[in-house]
Amino acid sequence: MAGALSTIREIERELGRLRDEAGEPGAHPKLRTSVMTLMAWVPERWVDAASETLSGLAERHPSRTILLFPLPREDRDALEAEVDLRCFLRGGVEREVCSEVISIRLCGRRAAVPASVVEPLLVPDLPVFLRWRGECAWGATELEELVDVAQRLVVDSSEWSDPESGYERLAELLERVAVSDIAWARTERWREAIASLWPGVADASTLRVAGPQAEAALLTRWLSVRLGRAVKLDHEPAGEIELVAVDGSEAVPARYERLSASDLLSAQLEIFGRDHVYEETVRSFSPVLS
Amino acid sequence: MTQAPAVSQENPLLEGLRKRRTAEPCALTIFGASGDLTQRKLIPALYSLAFRNLLPPNFGVVGVARTPMTDDEFREKMRDAVVAHARDEFRPEVWDELAEGFRYVATDFGQEGGEQHVVECLHALDRDRGTAGNRLDYLAVPPAAIEAIVVAMGKHRTSEGWTRLIVEKPFGHDLESARHLNEVIRTYFDESEIFRIDHYLGKETVQNMLVLRFANGIFEPIWNRQFVDHVQITVAESLGIEGRAEFYEQAGAVRDIVQNHLLQLVALTAMEPPIDFSADSVRNEKVKVLKAMHTPGPKHVVRGQYGPGYIEGEEVPGYREEPGVAPDSLTETYVAAKLFVDNWRWADTPFYIRTGKRLPKRETTIAIQFKRAPHPPFEIDSEDSLRPNVLLVHVQPDEGVSLAVGAKVPGQGMTIRTVHMDFLYGGAFRTGLPEAYERLILDCLLGDATLFTRADEVEEQWAIVDAMVAPWKRDRPNFPNYAAGTWGPATAAELLARDGREWRAH
Repeated sequence: MAGALSTIREIERELGRLRDEAGEPGAHPKLRTSVMTLMAWVPERWVDAASETLSGLAERHPSRTILLFPLPREDRDALEAEVDLRCFLRGGVEREVCSEVISIRLCGRRAAVPASVVEPLLVPDLPVFLRWRGECAWGATELEELVDVAQRLVVDSSEWSDPESGYERLAELLERVAVSDIAWARTERWREAIASLWPGVADASTLRVAGPQAEAALLTRWLSVRLGRAVKLDHEPAGEIELVAVDGSEAVPARYERLSASDLLSAQLEIFGRDHVYEETVRSFSPVLS
Repeated sequence: MTQAPAVSQENPLLEGLRKRRTAEPCALTIFGASGDLTQRKLIPALYSLAFRNLLPPNFGVVGVARTPMTDDEFREKMRDAVVAHARDEFRPEVWDELAEGFRYVATDFGQEGGEQHVVECLHALDRDRGTAGNRLDYLAVPPAAIEAIVVAMGKHRTSEGWTRLIVEKPFGHDLESARHLNEVIRTYFDESEIFRIDHYLGKETVQNMLVLRFANGIFEPIWNRQFVDHVQITVAESLGIEGRAEFYEQAGAVRDIVQNHLLQLVALTAMEPPIDFSADSVRNEKVKVLKAMHTPGPKHVVRGQYGPGYIEGEEVPGYREEPGVAPDSLTETYVAAKLFVDNWRWADTPFYIRTGKRLPKRETTIAIQFKRAPHPPFEIDSEDSLRPNVLLVHVQPDEGVSLAVGAKVPGQGMTIRTVHMDFLYGGAFRTGLPEAYERLILDCLLGDATLFTRADEVEEQWAIVDAMVAPWKRDRPNFPNYAAGTWGPATAAELLARDGREWRAH
C-alpha cells in the first residue's frame, strides 16, 4: 500500500486517479454521485462506533465523506490522508455508483485548525453536514471553524457527559448553524405519544421518564416550552426510553421502531430546514437565551 | 364574550412533529383476489406499507373471488406472494400483524345476492378490527365484471364512514363504453370517491417529470416550440403477452398502453404549470392538453404485429402463434403515432409516441429533443458532431434523467462528441424506489386523487384513441409486419423519416 497522503494536492491528485480508474474500457463508466459533503469529527474513542454507523450510509446518501481523526497529542504537526472509492450496485441501476471517502488524521496542532484542510475538499454547491461524535469541544477552534464551514451540525447529546450544560452551549451556536440532535430524534415517537394525550396534558406538572438523561431532559423542556408552564422531571436512568408518563398517565407510542445508529443519522441527513421546536427547547436551557 | 380556553384550540404539542400522512381506519376489499395483480402487486404493496408503519392500525383486507378458499388458505397464498414479490425482506412479525386482518369471501357477483357474503364480512371486520365503516373497494377484475360489482356494492354502501372505489385500467374499451361506465359508477359514487388507476402515475420518475419541469428554473423557459424540435415517448416491452391472450386480443397495444400510459405521459410533458399540486389543479391542466390534442389522421398512425424472432438470443413465437391468439388475428401489438398539441406552447411541435411488445428491450423514456445550435462556428469532422441536445427522462428501468450535450474531444482539432450527463435516481437516493402501487394505494387511503385519472380525462383519452382506430375498421393490415426483437415495422421509421427525423437510437 502506498504511504499516506500528506497534502491537499496529493489528496486531490489521488481522487482524480481513482476517478480515472473507475471506468474500465468498454464498460459502462461508474457513476460518481454526491448529494452532500459529509464531514465527521471522530475522536479516538469514537472510531469504532463511527465506522459502524458510516458503513452502509454511503449507499443511502452518496456523498463525499471526509473523516477527520484528531490526534492533538501527537508530537508532530502533520496531516495523513487516505482516499478510497466505495462503489456499490444500486437497485435498478446497471452501473456501479461510487462515493469518495477521505480519511484524514490531523496530528498535533493541525487538529485545532481543520477548516483549511476540509474547505478545498468540499463538493461545490452541495450542502455540508458535520457529524460531531462525542463531547462537543465548546469554544475550541476546531468546533468553531467546522461549524462555520457546515450548513448543518449533527450531534447526539446522549453522547455528552452533562447534556444540560451542553444544551446551554449549543444554544449559542444556533444562530450560526442548523442543528440536528439524534437524541431529539429518538424522542419523536414519545413526543407524538404525549401529544396524543392532549388536551388531558394541558396542565401537566410532572413528567416521569425512564430513559437516558439527555432524552429525559429534552422531553421535559419540550413539554414545558410547548405548554408554557413549568414541568418537573421525575427521572429514572435507563439505556433507552422505556417509559414516559405525564402526571401518572402513560404515553404509549403508536408505532414501534428500532432504528440503528445508521438509520438515525441517515434520517438527520435528509433534513435541510431548521427545527424551531428543537431550537426553542435547547434555548430554554440557557438562562440568557430562554 | 370570553375567549375559549387554550385547550379547546390547537394542540401546541403537535408543532414541529413530522407531518406523517396517516390513513384512517379502513377495510380494503379486493375484488379479483385470486388474480395475478393481487398477488404480484397489491398484497406486496400492502406489505411494504405495513413494513413502514404506513397503514392505519385498524385495517383489514377482504379478498373476494370465485375460487373457493378459506381465510387461512388465502393468507397462506398471499404470504407466498409477499415472499416472492415484495421489495422488502420478509419479516414474520410485520406479516402476522397484517395478515391477522385478512378475510376471504368466495362468491359470484353474477348471481343474485352474491355480494351479501362480502357485506357481512365487512360488518364483521368493523366489529373485530375497528375499521369504522370506512371502505376502499379495489376492482382488480376484468372490465366485463366491473359493472355488476359497482351496482351491488353501491347498493350496500354504508351510512357510516367513507367509501372509495379504485378501478383498474382499462376503463372501458372506447369512448361510449367509458361514458357508460362513468354513468353507472356515478349513480352510486361521487367523482371524489372514484379513483381510476393508471399505475404509471404512481411511478417516482413520472412524478419527477413535474418536479423537473416546475421546480427547476432552467427548463421551463425552453420547454416550448421555440426551443423544442420534437418529443419522443417510448413505452417498449420485450415481453410478449404472457398468457393474457383473452385480454390482449380485445385490447391490443392501443387500448392497453396508448389510451392510458402513453397519453398520460404526453399530458405530463405538455401540460402548463398547475397553480398547486392539488388533484383538480393537476388534472385540469392535463385535460387541457388532451382537449388540445389534434386528432391524428391515418397517415400519422402506424400499427404492427410481431412475427417470430429472437429476444436475448432466444427464439420466440410470433403473436399469432401465442396460445389463445387467433391464427389470423389482426390485433396490433405495436402502435406509433405523431400527435400535435394545438396550443400556444406546442403548436407545430410533433409528439412522436410508440409502444410495442417484443421490442428489443424494456424501456420507457420521454425524450425532449431540442433544436440544433443555429450557427456552430466549428468545422464538422465527424458524424457524431453537433447533434441536438436531448433531455431524456428514463421512466424505467434506470430511472433518472440524462442530458446529451456536445463536448470537445481532448486533443488537437475541434472534434465534438455527444456525452451524457446522468442523474440516476438509484445513484443519488436511497435504494428501493417505492412501487407505484404502494404510493397509489396509500394516496387512496388518504383520499388524495392527484395521481388518479378523472372522468373527463379518461373520456378525452378515449376520444383520441377512437379517432386513431376508426380508419382501422376499413383496411386489412398485412400482419405480422415486424419480427420479434426489432424496433417495430418499417412504416414506423418512415413516419419520422418523412419529417427528416428518426427514432432515437438505443
